[in-house]
Amino acid sequence: MDKILNDYLEKTDRYLRPMPAGERVDIIKEIKSEMLELEAEKHLTPTEITERLGSPKELATAYLGSSIAKDGSFSLRKLLCIASFTGLASGSIFVLPITSVLACGLLFSAIIAPIGGIIKLVGFLLGFDVPFVMFQFGSYTAHPLAAFPLSVLFGLLLFLAGKGLWKLTIKYVKALSQSKAKLHAFDAEL
Amino acid sequence: MNLEDWKSQIKRGTLEYCILLMISKKAYYGYEIISELEKSPMLAAKESTIYPLLRRLLKDGLLSSYWQETTEGLPPRKYYTITEDGKTYLTAMSAEWQSLLQAIAEISGTT
Repeated sequence: MDKILNDYLEKTDRYLRPMPAGERVDIIKEIKSEMLELEAEKHLTPTEITERLGSPKELATAYLGSSIAKDGSFSLRKLLCIASFTGLASGSIFVLPITSVLACGLLFSAIIAPIGGIIKLVGFLLGFDVPFVMFQFGSYTAHPLAAFPLSVLFGLLLFLAGKGLWKLTIKYVKALSQSKAKLHAFDAEL
Repeated sequence: MNLEDWKSQIKRGTLEYCILLMISKKAYYGYEIISELEKSPMLAAKESTIYPLLRRLLKDGLLSSYWQETTEGLPPRKYYTITEDGKTYLTAMSAEWQSLLQAIAEISGTT
């Protein structure tokens, strides 16, 4: 296979790295299949082929965008997808890192808060104070018994906030890839 | 008023319908779909639009796919077929499309 085309596929593959390996192989195989077909049937030169396909970055961003926007579920893989999508899509440099990292922080805190509550409660029941874990809200410090339900309640609130922010992030990516799709549609007509 | 903007909005909304319609008739591979759509300027779309769209339709369970070897020394092609869910979805889309066409005809007074 021609070097230009091979480089193109390698670059695209690299941009797609946050996607599962199996999917990536399939995507690259499909693009490669079209390249060879354009070469053999339409007698296009490698440069004409890569021009037709758009830049590797643009192509990979389109795949990443549509795979992120699929549903609102949370996964580490998706976070990685969003991170690379952010790097590829201009205009999202501020919004996406802030919302996605903040969402993760909130979800993480949502797990930590009740664990802290449990440690404090167990410590209290066994008769020793755990000074490094306490429920504090401004100047108010909760009694070890009250700390547990309070931490669960706050954990829940943090979870809802994190989840909401995560959904917002997905929506933003969706809107962004749609406006990209619009630009592509223009290109196709020109 | 921007006619191009309006056209691209229509395209975005109808591309999925057109692709499902095509694949419901026979198995297509990606490039075949793209070159078929290219025949109509209103529907022409780039690889970076069609391939991710096909992928989403696969994940949504409306399409299924298989790789097939070709005879004349060409690389294998990935063919797409419609699933039962896809057919149901397409029937519903067609009904909506018909009612849209009818509504437009009534508004423009051609019926």
